[in-house]
Amino acid sequence: MTSPAKGAPGQAGAILALTGPAYLWLTVAILLPLSAMFYFSFLSEAPLAGKTGEWTLANYRAFFEQGFYGTLMLRSLRLGAEVVFWCFVLGFPCALVLAKSVKGRWREALFLLVILPFWSNALVRIFSWTMMLRGNGILERAIDWVVPGRFRLDIMFTYEAVVIGLVHSYLPYMILTCYISLQAVQDDLIEAARSMGASRLTILRRILLPLSLPGILAGVVLIFVPVIGSFMEPRILGGRNGTFIGTVIEDQFTAVFNWPLGAALSFIMLGCVGVVFALSRLALGRRG
Amino acid sequence: MRAFSLGGLGRVYLVLVLLFLYCPIIVMAVMSFNESQFYTLPVKWSFKWYGALAGNERILSAAANSVGIAVLTTLIASVLGTAASLAFFRYRFRGREVMQLLLFPPIAIPWLITGTAMLLFFFWIGIGRGLHAMLLGHVALALPYVIIVTSARLKAYDPDLELAARSMGAPPWMVFRRVTLPFLAPGFLAAALFAFAVSFDQFVISYFLSVPGTSTLPVEIYTAIRKGFTPEINAISTIVIGFSMALLLGVARFYKFGGERK
Amino acid sequence: MTVISVEGVTKTFGSHDALTDLSVQFDDGGFYALLGPSGSGKTTLLRLIAGFEFPTSGRILFNGEHMEGLPAEKRDVGMMFQSYALFPNMSVFDNVAFGLTVRKLPAAEIRTRVAEALELVRLTGYDKRRPHELSGGQRQRVALARAIVFRPRVLLLDEPLSALDKALRLGMQVELRRIQRDVGITTIFVTHDQEEALTLADRVGVLRDGRLVQEGPPKQLYERPASAFTATFLGEANLFTGTAAEGRLALPDGTLLTPDRPAAPADTTCAVRPERVDILAPAEDPGARNVITGTVSEVIFAGTSLHYLVDWQGRSLKVTATNRGAEGAAAGETVRLAFAPRDTVLVTP
Repeated sequence: MTSPAKGAPGQAGAILALTGPAYLWLTVAILLPLSAMFYFSFLSEAPLAGKTGEWTLANYRAFFEQGFYGTLMLRSLRLGAEVVFWCFVLGFPCALVLAKSVKGRWREALFLLVILPFWSNALVRIFSWTMMLRGNGILERAIDWVVPGRFRLDIMFTYEAVVIGLVHSYLPYMILTCYISLQAVQDDLIEAARSMGASRLTILRRILLPLSLPGILAGVVLIFVPVIGSFMEPRILGGRNGTFIGTVIEDQFTAVFNWPLGAALSFIMLGCVGVVFALSRLALGRRG
Repeated sequence: MRAFSLGGLGRVYLVLVLLFLYCPIIVMAVMSFNESQFYTLPVKWSFKWYGALAGNERILSAAANSVGIAVLTTLIASVLGTAASLAFFRYRFRGREVMQLLLFPPIAIPWLITGTAMLLFFFWIGIGRGLHAMLLGHVALALPYVIIVTSARLKAYDPDLELAARSMGAPPWMVFRRVTLPFLAPGFLAAALFAFAVSFDQFVISYFLSVPGTSTLPVEIYTAIRKGFTPEINAISTIVIGFSMALLLGVARFYKFGGERK
Repeated sequence: MTVISVEGVTKTFGSHDALTDLSVQFDDGGFYALLGPSGSGKTTLLRLIAGFEFPTSGRILFNGEHMEGLPAEKRDVGMMFQSYALFPNMSVFDNVAFGLTVRKLPAAEIRTRVAEALELVRLTGYDKRRPHELSGGQRQRVALARAIVFRPRVLLLDEPLSALDKALRLGMQVELRRIQRDVGITTIFVTHDQEEALTLADRVGVLRDGRLVQEGPPKQLYERPASAFTATFLGEANLFTGTAAEGRLALPDGTLLTPDRPAAPADTTCAVRPERVDILAPAEDPGARNVITGTVSEVIFAGTSLHYLVDWQGRSLKVTATNRGAEGAAAGETVRLAFAPRDTVLVTP
């Protein structure tokens, strides 16, 4: 291996040989499928089994003509916003304690514990909540044990159950991104602020929050996007109340077999996410 | 003293968050050892449900598929990904930045969309569904992670180390074996473990690309949950989560998240 | 203003004593340097005074007022950090105004006082810049303005000049001294650079292994070091070890040295500065001076001065002479070295 060099003769072949296979794979398995999906979204029916679809905007029009899809989209956006909100409220203080209040070997161990669920099986973690939340489940029995009486929790198969499950799934993302940016804030800055008489709240508001904004935003994006596209979590924890844009898209592919509509809804979903980020960027930009 | 100490309150809060993160998993694990099917308390310890797993053909074959695909994904993604990151490290060429940027859509686009797009495209051009299609998808998802992780390690690599070794008279093969490889190995290993984890825990892509009868563990678990669950699912879920957590601990051993060590 | 007293302070980290039973007083309006090698506890002492740490035992008083349990944010201390610790998300104005905003001063007064402070450090007109748009020297001035603008009771400086290159550092030393006199604030300054401590401070405290070894005005510390450590840490010194004999010091080879004061029976060591040692011309009469004979092993030319290494009793002695252009001793030459009794300072080993 040698240090990075500029344009030696014959290196084009080496570059092609090294990057070619990986990018060919990415093209076949990601880029072409997404392009094909985009193409399908403009067809009247999927060009499969001898059928030929015709060019149409009907799939996109359906979204705007049938209020049902719009309502679901808004419901999904609201779900995304709520999950992001709770992840931030729960995760930021946690990252703060980890980054600035715990030191040494303890910090390393606790940090690992927090992100351990980060990669572990998402499906299984969602499933584990069913036992907690269902009627006469662990949570209800625990509450009953503390406050005996006829207190019914029964939030399984509700919107709230979906929020709890998703917050549980994505909380480590927020903790991780906030932790990374908080760790980069030097202790000197905090001590300088203290020497000038700043209270903890002032330090949080004027130094820690502004300086960890990139991490917070990264967490927001990392959570918001997959939550909008989630379908497994609402199906398991939401039951009949778990209908969101993600589950409708899934239905188009696995139950209704209206692929062009599913494709169009997917791109509308991506578009909505894009619009939300563009708007929030505008709002943030105006503030400072 | 800590710069921004929250005292005992901070510790208590941390413990509460950990409780929230682990409580359901622990409950699930405990229940998988409970003899009663109806989660009655107190727990009557038993390996009954693990025993039942051994006789469940569907789960066993799904587990074999999961491991098989994960191993293949790890091999393919490691080789291809490492090659690409070497090219990024060694050469400056036109399109390099664009190619690096292309790594983010597979990570950023919701898996629902990537998965359905694969289903649609593979069906359309005749690749169809099945284990081979899943492998195609899993490798594509794992590649960006492999390239990003190995690139990070390569970036920290100081080529002067090689020059120093060579100046002391070490022949090239020795430089590679004693200097280059030991430095890069942890990065490669972490990337490989990442790839394995991405594949082994992947549900969405597998779900869309599986055909009834041949699927992976997460898909099989999902199907079972939808049908109405039994403690058997607890048992297999406990095994799966224990396995993937052990895997992550392996990754952490070689890859410091968030630049932890100074 | 403020007198700061440190009384019998011990600070323990785990099983390690960073400071041991340390007492010192910082006078009102004085410029005090804490000097010591790394690990001597000087920064710990500064952080205890600032209120970032609390003593394990002992007391810290501001004008007789016990500071126990009072954290930094309630002590009214201005502190300048080695890294400057400017807030990267704020402009120069907001950085300097921070301490005033926290104290909820009216906006108009904040503007006037920030302008005054920036003028004091000669950075008028820089208020809208961000820290990353400033040079190292400018950043440091902002840090200084920020530390004094809210009129703290004491100004603490933690190795403030160590990140600057030499030319800039000399300029800043003069500047710092001027500003400190203008403002008249009690100032404590931590440094490992002995020259800096001698140049800047009214009083210097030398720390070693968590103890205050000696303190006093720079001239006294340099001329009359109490210990071999102070003598060698503050500048250079040749150490001679022997036994006390009738008020004089007998060296192993039999030479008798007359020290600055009659040697007590317990005295064994004396220190002589290289620039106080003269190389005698062949027939020169040493007078009342102490004389030893050695062989020049090396002559080092350093522009304004000449450094000689002289072999004596298997050791290498240092002699510094001003470069006056005359031919000095050459390597290999046997020479007589002379130094006055008042420059032969008895020290503890």
